Amino acid sequence: MKIIVRIILLASFLPYILLNFKAFGFFGGLGANPVEAIIHDTGIWGIRFLVLTLTLTPLYHYSKHEVVRTLPKPIGLVAFFYVLNHFLCYAIIDQAGDLGVIVVDIIETPYLIVGWAGFLCLFAVGVASFNSFQEWFNNNRSTISGLVYSAAVLGVWHFYWQEKVVSYEAIVHSILMTVLVLWRLRISTDKPSS
Amino acid sequence: MSLIRKSSHVIKSSDITPESVYMNRRSVLRTIGTLSTGLAINAWVNDNVRANEDQLNVSPNAKYSTTESINSYEDITTYNNFYEFGMQKSDPYNYGGEFEPKPWSVKVTGEANNTGVFDLDDLININALEERIYRLRCVEAWSMVIPWVGIPLAKIIKKLQPNLNAKHVAFETVYRPQQMPGQRRPILDWPYIEGLTIQEAMHPLTLIAVGLYGKELLNQNGAPMRLVVPWKYGFKSIKSINKIHFQSKKPLTSWNIAAPKEYGFLANVNPEVDHPRWSQARERRIGSGFFGTKQPTLMFNGYAEDVASLYTGINLRRNF
Repeated sequence: MKIIVRIILLASFLPYILLNFKAFGFFGGLGANPVEAIIHDTGIWGIRFLVLTLTLTPLYHYSKHEVVRTLPKPIGLVAFFYVLNHFLCYAIIDQAGDLGVIVVDIIETPYLIVGWAGFLCLFAVGVASFNSFQEWFNNNRSTISGLVYSAAVLGVWHFYWQEKVVSYEAIVHSILMTVLVLWRLRISTDKPSS
Repeated sequence: MSLIRKSSHVIKSSDITPESVYMNRRSVLRTIGTLSTGLAINAWVNDNVRANEDQLNVSPNAKYSTTESINSYEDITTYNNFYEFGMQKSDPYNYGGEFEPKPWSVKVTGEANNTGVFDLDDLININALEERIYRLRCVEAWSMVIPWVGIPLAKIIKKLQPNLNAKHVAFETVYRPQQMPGQRRPILDWPYIEGLTIQEAMHPLTLIAVGLYGKELLNQNGAPMRLVVPWKYGFKSIKSINKIHFQSKKPLTSWNIAAPKEYGFLANVNPEVDHPRWSQARERRIGSGFFGTKQPTLMFNGYAEDVASLYTGINLRRNF
């Protein structure tokens, strides 16, 4: 069981490893705009893993598979890892770490406000998941879950909103998130005790 | 003001790219093509697109140059917004191979005396080509410096003799979904259409490009002929043009149809008027690498001295 979880976790870092190889010129490199390539790549993988994290809940609900039960937290942390990279690349490389410029940029750009809000939600969950917060983390499941759902909804919105023309992937994530949120709401009204 | 008018600053494209890399390849490939196995033809077509090494007879125009460093041929030919071939920047390079820019004809209609269907060579005198190094500013806040080869659009328009009703010029990109995979999806309302006022079209800066870096345009850059309007956002510079129409009223434009609040008809580069979803104050110069900082965007992309007079009395915030 543990070995399967480990393989899945290792695999989830493959896009990041590939990105690093590309940054050093392998596999065709990052192209003419490497900063944009890194920001887009880490961002899109953050969204993918976030949506995957939330997909695991109904998946466990119906399959009762033990591996699926143990995955949401590590996969959620993988999503956080990509989103953190995404944000740091934006702040440090794209905006050259200029705090004043970053604040103005975020305030003036609607999709950045949404992305920033989503990042803060995920950041709170990420911090809460550390060992010292473990008890609080376990006792506040519904808060944590609400934050992850908020982060995912805001993340998909951020992704959708920055596109000039809507891509298939943005449509797929939007539909998935709608279904997941509706499913979650239905489950929580079915069983108010959980 | 970085538009330099001193010939000493002119960098010839031949100084930048070693020509030997591309030499003789075309003739070899043509020979292979005549063997006419399906595979060989296919390889020839693909290679022909990647490295179309037809050299053009070009004289640099010293008036339109710059001291800024020019983007590499690789950057200019692999990082493109040309949704006819797909939405990724690398799609035009990767999926432009099926497109056949030769032979090419352009249909001219509307308010002009000399209308009809013209071969490319009839419209553009191959011996009058000039090289102009222009900045290109994309609405997505990145920019490049590109050594175009072409002729002023004004020269073509004079040949077509528009009448006094011709207040605008409308352009259309070829519609070939079999050769342009992006056109098989409803990304935009195909075919792509753009337009200029007749004053903008006649302005000496406005260019019809048929090449870059001294060579014929590759498919991903809008072969065989495209518009270049350096003081406007890149989407105005319509590619692979096969229709020109002179008309009185303002033409419809593809991006304006897709998102009227975001992309206007004029679309002049303007750091003071932000796109509704992002700032236009600064731009990332392609080729500046990982740690290159963004640079301030200039009014009319640095061509204010030449073109600002076209817009006196016009509210550029409202007419974005």
